[in-house]
Amino acid sequence: MFRNQSLEDCPLDEDEDAFQTLGEEDEDINQFNDDTFGAGAIDDDWQEAHERLAELEDKPATARELEDGAVSDEMELLGHHEENLAERLSKLVIENELEDPAIMQAVQTQPPMQQSGGLNSSIWDGSAVLRRFRGPLLTQEMPSVSVLEYAMLQKPPQGQEDERDLSERALPRRSSSPIIGSPPVRAVPIGTPPKQATMPNFIQQILCPKPVHIRAPMQQRYPSPYGERMSPNQLCNVSAGRMSPSQFARVSGLVGSPLTSMNPKLLQGRVGQMMAPASGFRAFFGAPPPPAPPSSQQQHPPCPGSHLQNLRPHPQMFRPDTTHLHPQHRRLLHQRQQQNRNQHRSLNGSAGDRAGHRSSHQEQLRKDPYANLMLQREKDWVSKIQMMQLQSTDPYLDDFYYQNYFQKLEKVSAAEEMHGDGPKKERTKLITPQVAKLEHAYKPVQFEGSLGKLTVSSVNNPRKMIDAVVTSRSEDDETKEKQVRDKRRQTLVTIEKTYSLLLDVEDYERRYLLSLEGERPALMEERKQKICDMYDNLRGKTPGQERPSDDHFVQIMCIRKGKRMVARILPFLSTEQAADILMATARNLPFLIKKDAQDEVLLCLLRPFSLVLYHLPLGTVTSLLQQLANLPQSATVPAPANLHLTAVLQNKFGLSLLYLVLSRGEELQNSSAAMELMQDNQWTELMSMATRELLRIPEAALAKPVSTPSNLLSLFSRYVDQQKLNVLETKLQLVQGIR
Amino acid sequence: QCFIFSITVNANLTSLPEKHLVLLRDGRTLIGYLRSIDQFANLVLHQTVERIHVGKKYGDIPRGIFVVRGENVVLLGEIDLEKESDTPLQQVSIEEILEEQRVEQQAKQESEKLKVQALKERGLSIPRADTLDEY
Repeated sequence: MFRNQSLEDCPLDEDEDAFQTLGEEDEDINQFNDDTFGAGAIDDDWQEAHERLAELEDKPATARELEDGAVSDEMELLGHHEENLAERLSKLVIENELEDPAIMQAVQTQPPMQQSGGLNSSIWDGSAVLRRFRGPLLTQEMPSVSVLEYAMLQKPPQGQEDERDLSERALPRRSSSPIIGSPPVRAVPIGTPPKQATMPNFIQQILCPKPVHIRAPMQQRYPSPYGERMSPNQLCNVSAGRMSPSQFARVSGLVGSPLTSMNPKLLQGRVGQMMAPASGFRAFFGAPPPPAPPSSQQQHPPCPGSHLQNLRPHPQMFRPDTTHLHPQHRRLLHQRQQQNRNQHRSLNGSAGDRAGHRSSHQEQLRKDPYANLMLQREKDWVSKIQMMQLQSTDPYLDDFYYQNYFQKLEKVSAAEEMHGDGPKKERTKLITPQVAKLEHAYKPVQFEGSLGKLTVSSVNNPRKMIDAVVTSRSEDDETKEKQVRDKRRQTLVTIEKTYSLLLDVEDYERRYLLSLEGERPALMEERKQKICDMYDNLRGKTPGQERPSDDHFVQIMCIRKGKRMVARILPFLSTEQAADILMATARNLPFLIKKDAQDEVLLCLLRPFSLVLYHLPLGTVTSLLQQLANLPQSATVPAPANLHLTAVLQNKFGLSLLYLVLSRGEELQNSSAAMELMQDNQWTELMSMATRELLRIPEAALAKPVSTPSNLLSLFSRYVDQQKLNVLETKLQLVQGIR
Repeated sequence: QCFIFSITVNANLTSLPEKHLVLLRDGRTLIGYLRSIDQFANLVLHQTVERIHVGKKYGDIPRGIFVVRGENVVLLGEIDLEKESDTPLQQVSIEEILEEQRVEQQAKQESEKLKVQALKERGLSIPRADTLDEY
């Protein structure tokens, strides 16, 4: 910089020169100003504009008093002003379709509708920013952001609103152009709900002429939950072939409702979903759900079809946004409605139509002057936002616990119904609008005439702040400790990866049900592959034919999470693979027991192990027993103190497992044919050795097993004489009564 | 995440205003007429009463108009006016309930101190959860 140079290069006695140069710079400052800030900083445009707007501020306050709420010319001027701005902006931008929603708000095009109404009507509309999506959209034309608006004329509010100083909330608009790339300064913060009262007379003007963007390939199974509530306008735009016929039938019944369009139709171009709060909050699902819901719905799959049955074509009575709610919620709401309607009826004796409502309105005000502080519009608006939050592309992903919880509830109630055979309650499932996930490849905005790309960072395109580089460590530096630590870390990583695979595999069943016929084989393949991967992960991949060492597996089993995971994986493995796992466990059982002393999680493996055992042939069971008891192959070798077996017997899990194996062996023995003689011999030998060991061990050292299979007694009776049998009996508490 | 307040909002329309009960993160219970709500669950409560519960007793402190920032709301529910009087709880005066609350707080603090002491003797320490919502 010029300044720096002057300070550094000039020695102290040349200070005067330095100051002089500084003085020269001051003259350039104005020049710099212009360059930096443009004309806006010097011109007093904004002041004049402010004056103008400040005057206008007073006018709407008085205009409201007018009966018909005439549009003031100044309002239009302002409207046009913003329109021009928007046009200018849109011309600037090359990319006609700005994908970044945060930036999209800066560019709003107004439909060629008259923007009547107060200063704040645009704010209300601004809050309903549409998202546009790429991809297979139905309509070919792609205007840049189309904000669906409607004209709301102001009705002079009844006396209650006079006290509210509405002008407070409206700040004058700025005339200077917004900084490119950031959303314009809003006159009223985006979060402010609108404040005018709604007028039912302007239904026609409300309907938006702009087509609704709908995703064309809507899945058959998930027709829009709001299909019934589409206005005629929107109906035309919906791909007729996609909607199920019953929905059309319902819509036609609803179109004629007088209150359908009472509320602003804030339509979101969201995929597959139309948020059109078609009627007021007043009531929904007027009639109770029909007692025989499934009759008309049987041809539809239960999941998407069930929501339809709850929607009667009752003109005033539905609340589209609450289809998201679980049936129980909806029931509650419905009850409320009934109550309220009853109250209405009792008040004015009418059937709750609009006229009657008006008179009760007066009564309400008398009783509670602060009621209806929130306008219907505002309530709808907030409710709409909340409903938007409920949308999800994959409810099982986003709201897993909620889904599961209600599934469980339903299962329980279904089970109860089976028993009780009571009245058949509605078995509706919770439907949340399924918004298909679309990939947005966000490209940063480009402008004409600029070199390179402007770094416009918004919420969807954050700036890279830290340049983190991954460096891998070299082998030489590692100490023994580090190696041990790394090994453990490796194991943990393996567990995590395998767990993800496991969760995926467990999820396949659900996906299978949801998928189309053609996709199913592919899904099955994927599932198989994942199971194989899981097994490989568990055992550790080894090159070549040699049997993999148990080390990898043992490492996994040392970790609590690993044990639980193995318990969950076992049902998915093939018999050989599962047997392999069992063997590995049995082989290393003492070590695992030692490691498990604190966690005591091994017991979770008992159940899956026993399930596996039922599929195993005698040979495998024999070798399993051998491994478990660490008994030598032949009986001739004098058995030393068998620490392995001791450890096994002293542990709850070990003992239980042993019992299971023995019991299974016994079963097989009883049922097996004579041709398995060889194995029988081996089994017999093993059994005699095992019983010898069991006899040897003192009773006190024995653990308490989870369960004692009943056939152990007969098992032992084969191999030992009566006396020893008695000893065994008491020791192992094999007889039922002792325990 | 998000809550469905359609019931509540609809209630604003009815002839008799419905009372609402709000539980805040710091443990306070407010009861009042819900006048306004927004997408962040910011609430405007009218004729609010702060209800302190100690055991089977409770006491009401009138507070006037409350504006609650949404992030502090734990839950919000509607009070069934018919069932409101049908409660086993006994209403007492403000002074009494405040006294009861003080006694309760004291007892809690004492037990907490003992716990911390016992843990310290064993060489353990549980960090004070200042940032958590605890009451």
